[in-house]
Amino acid sequence: MNAADRPAPALELANITKRFGRVTALEGVNLVANSGEILAIVGDNGAGKSTLIKTISGVYRPDEGSIFVNGQPAVFANPADARAAGVATVFQDLALVECLDVSTNMFLGQLPRKGWFVDRKRMDEESRHFLDELKVTVGDVHTQIGMLSGGQRQIISIARAVRAGAHTVLLDEPTAALGVRETQHAANIIVALRDKGNAVICVSHDMEFVFKVADRVQVMRLGRVVGTKTVADTTRDDVIALITGAKKEAA
Amino acid sequence: MSATPTTTHELASSRSVRARVFTQVRNRSQLAGLFGVLMGLVIIFQIGNPIFLSPGNVLEVLRAATLYFIVACPATLVIVSGGIDFSAGALFATGGIAAGYAMIGGVPWPLAVIFGIAVGVVLGIVNAILSVYLKVPPLIATISMFFVASGAITVLTGGLSVSGFPKAFTDLGQGFLAGIPFLVYYAIGTGVIFWILLEKTPLGYDARAVGGNRAAASANGIRVNRHDLIVYGLAGGVTALAGIMGAARLASASPGAGGTALTFQVVTAVIIGGTSLFGGIGSIGGSAVGALLFAAINNGLVVIGVNALWQNIFVGVILAAAVAIDQARRRRQFTSRR
Repeated sequence: MNAADRPAPALELANITKRFGRVTALEGVNLVANSGEILAIVGDNGAGKSTLIKTISGVYRPDEGSIFVNGQPAVFANPADARAAGVATVFQDLALVECLDVSTNMFLGQLPRKGWFVDRKRMDEESRHFLDELKVTVGDVHTQIGMLSGGQRQIISIARAVRAGAHTVLLDEPTAALGVRETQHAANIIVALRDKGNAVICVSHDMEFVFKVADRVQVMRLGRVVGTKTVADTTRDDVIALITGAKKEAA
Repeated sequence: MSATPTTTHELASSRSVRARVFTQVRNRSQLAGLFGVLMGLVIIFQIGNPIFLSPGNVLEVLRAATLYFIVACPATLVIVSGGIDFSAGALFATGGIAAGYAMIGGVPWPLAVIFGIAVGVVLGIVNAILSVYLKVPPLIATISMFFVASGAITVLTGGLSVSGFPKAFTDLGQGFLAGIPFLVYYAIGTGVIFWILLEKTPLGYDARAVGGNRAAASANGIRVNRHDLIVYGLAGGVTALAGIMGAARLASASPGAGGTALTFQVVTAVIIGGTSLFGGIGSIGGSAVGALLFAAINNGLVVIGVNALWQNIFVGVILAAAVAIDQARRRRQFTSRR
């Protein structure tokens, strides 16, 4: 990979270490997320994936190491900082309000206004626009979230992150709890997100999903990066061997 | 609003559209059903005693409903936001007493009214501070407020009514326009303002978000604590204003006005009107019908000569039924369809 020719990565983590007391959850972790690319992060339980997610989303501050956004050093002191820098995290629990409709959820906390009132028309139009751009059909932006399936909710959460101006979207187990058809649909959305020029990071256990959508896969084991592979040049067995530690390789 | 089927993705959009229409029909049908119950009762009461629909009695029902309804408007906003206000009856009396004392002390009546509202706003904000910062559940915080405020005004007045108000003030509560009491116009005005607040403004949208999923609202940048301060403060102010208007109507402010009766009647009217006690869902229109239903039952049972003791039984049954319907509605609506 000739990194020198490329523009600066959308998000780069350099040598990140995070300790909790005597436990080292992350040790010298490097990560590069490029625009227009899907990076999958895989690893067994306890590999440090959750800590990594929380570091990228601004919940944790690393003890050592640096974060760069578009080549510029950045500090994520809290989730709002990460979001303001264009790095959005879509968590498993999604944070949607079930009794409100799709477009209201898309604009939660950032309602467009016209004087003293909510600009409902603009909200609906922009929601429709964003969902169209991601090639999503939810029927109608006035549908209540409570009426949607898990996959549709996942999609709304992703669309909301993009709408809020994120260039890098971190997805925590995007296919957990989704059926076969919905997983396929979530995959389509994630690919559409990449093709729009976003950097996408998926933390996932789902190997089939990873090998179907990801461009690169980064394997974590016991708090370290044990391998970063281009999906086209590796096999599932190779990646599983790295995850379990059956095979060792310089990161 | 047309659907935008711009892609060939296999998502079951037609199912969503059908589901949405279904929801709307069901939400409307609940209000329509409530209205049907109201009409049915009106017919029964009218058959029982033809005086029921006489202009004088209809006016009486309306006047009783206005009191519940004016207080029910901010209470709807509070309950939609996921809270509850059981201090309403005490803040109602406190508003009247505060303004009354100010007037007797020589303060011009408009300033006295503002003072009374301000006292209500402050006590409402105290409700919110107790629940938001001291983590006292709103139910307990507002019940505590009920006891403290009604106790304080009883001590202050020695339990006696305050009277001797200027005529300009009492006219506010006693006047008529085109044969209809001013109070009815106040209620309509309050209803319109709160309908706009709940349906059209960021405050109303935030109320549904905070009540529907407080954690999600907070995670998406809605300042949930500030929202509570505003909503409870508003509720305190409007409730105090209603108490002041009640005092103007009777030309006397009593520490016993409002009380537990008003508190329960207001919450009941709001819940019967389809506002969910669990937050997120509710409407001002529903609360209006709820208040009318409540006033009509209280009046109608007396008019047709039913023992007063039966009234509470009747109201209790309707309240339980309303909440049972709400629960069933939630279960059906918010079960994820995979």
